Amino acid sequence: MKKIITILATLLAAVTAFAQSGKDLYNKYSDLDGISAVYVSPAMFRMIGKIPDIDIEDGNVDLTPIIQSMTGFYMLDAEDPGVASKLEAEVKRLLNGKKYELLFETKENGEVTRLFTAGSGSTVNSVVLVNKEASEFTLMCLEGKMDREELERILAEAAAK
Amino acid sequence: MKRIQDIERMTMVDWDRIGADESLPVPKDLQVRLPRRRAVVWSIAASVAVVAGIGLSALLRTPEPKDTFTDPYLAYAAMEQAFSRMGQMVARSADIIEQSENKVTYWK
Repeated sequence: MKKIITILATLLAAVTAFAQSGKDLYNKYSDLDGISAVYVSPAMFRMIGKIPDIDIEDGNVDLTPIIQSMTGFYMLDAEDPGVASKLEAEVKRLLNGKKYELLFETKENGEVTRLFTAGSGSTVNSVVLVNKEASEFTLMCLEGKMDREELERILAEAAAK
Repeated sequence: MKRIQDIERMTMVDWDRIGADESLPVPKDLQVRLPRRRAVVWSIAASVAVVAGIGLSALLRTPEPKDTFTDPYLAYAAMEQAFSRMGQMVARSADIIEQSENKVTYWK
């Protein structure tokens, strides 16, 4: 009996310690001082999808083909060095825990940017962008069931503008 | 064979007398019908597992954050900005690759 309780307690502790997601990190950090946060909910994505006339200005990409397949967007921008390093450590753990694939990495003048995706085959479930610059750290996390080909096409279009 | 009504009518004295009567045969499978200690332990363990499972699912259910935008147009603009930033990053990567290719061509 004691063994069973010990195993259950260990499992509980392990799961709660490693079950991190973009939403968990957002909930943890968004209210802290020195953090700028943006969250777009699944309901808001559904509302955006119903807008009949979205004006796409020059220099902007047309997201309408994939907007309805998005279910959440979290952005955390930490300017406080202490908070930034804590957030960076937690993001590292998040990216190691799930099956994230590094899509791009750029290192330039001390600034490091990485773009990760997670998903299976033709579907992308999560896109994570991390940017580290001096004492600032930015996390962007986009979740949904996005078509990989469409997403890559939009990213290429955004890069060309 | 006694009927239920007969058993219900029995007094405590009758029960004592039957209990003390050693001539009555004990059913051979009596052990099987009695709950075993192991079964009790496992049923308690199963209950603990169910309670822990419910607790765990409640613990892991993270609350939904509050939307930053109430206007879908503003939310769409934020998404455009996010994609623009990702695009810039892709473009910068392409630039770095191009620069390194030019360097290779120069040294050839």
